[in-house]
Amino acid sequence: MEIAVIGNSEFILGFRLAGITKTYAAESEEKVVESVNKVLEDNTVGILVLNSSDMAKIPVRLRTNLENSVHPTVITLGEEEGGLSMRERIKRSVGVDLWK
Amino acid sequence: MALKDVKPTRSELINTKKKIKLSQNGYKILKMKRDGLIMEFFKVLEEAKDSRGALLERYSRAQEMMAIANTIEGSIGVKAAAFSVRENPDITLKSKNIMGVVVPEIASTQVKKGIAERGYGVIGTTPIIDDTASAFEELVEAIIKSAEIETTMKRLLDEIESTKRRVNALEFKVIPELSEARDFIKMRLDEMEREELFRLKKIKARSTA
Repeated sequence: MEIAVIGNSEFILGFRLAGITKTYAAESEEKVVESVNKVLEDNTVGILVLNSSDMAKIPVRLRTNLENSVHPTVITLGEEEGGLSMRERIKRSVGVDLWK
Repeated sequence: MALKDVKPTRSELINTKKKIKLSQNGYKILKMKRDGLIMEFFKVLEEAKDSRGALLERYSRAQEMMAIANTIEGSIGVKAAAFSVRENPDITLKSKNIMGVVVPEIASTQVKKGIAERGYGVIGTTPIIDDTASAFEELVEAIIKSAEIETTMKRLLDEIESTKRRVNALEFKVIPELSEARDFIKMRLDEMEREELFRLKKIKARSTA
């Protein structure tokens, strides 16, 4: 199985250098959504890497799908996380802020 | 279930008692599930903290290297090198089941490569390209590791939340309401019995008089 990367051309260039061939350049919002859908249909993709600022632009419904998906597993890179951050999630479900 | 909907009959009492027993069983099991999930969650928590930190650190380093490479080699040079890399990191994705929560388990082949394996000409490029490539290879390694951990965390948290909600609903809503209904029925049945007894006594008194 392979890793797929979606992002602007600068973002994906480095991953190409690391040997990942499934990189999709997506500059605009529509393009991101389109590429994400394409990757979701592709059974050979095991991990999908997204820039967190791109993740924030994806419509909520698709984003929730991505966050809960196991195959492929989705991971975002970058400081700000799209939607609820891990810390918020922990606070909400456990009731205590354990992320310190 | 409001009390006025409860019919004070014996069969209803038996049914309610059965329901209470079922809810209490379910409550116990769900509570155990919740505790188990939280224990699993604690196991992953430490790892997740470390992996997220390492991931961000490597990401910023990789970006930095990329910027340097772009400055020195020019973006065309970097692109040319990038497009000639052939070796593709291969991962295997399996799913694991933690108490009904499906989480991914990812294993990967070697991501890090030697300079000669990368596919671009060593002579034609500067060492900065090599450094950038290895920085990104390290980043990919970190991604593979934290992809597994983070998704596990997210799914566990979601499951904990819904289990907690169910436990609370049973504890504070379903079981109290059912026991209230049971008490009501019992009371009504007793009351009816007393009325019946009284009526019989009354009739007896009248017939002897």
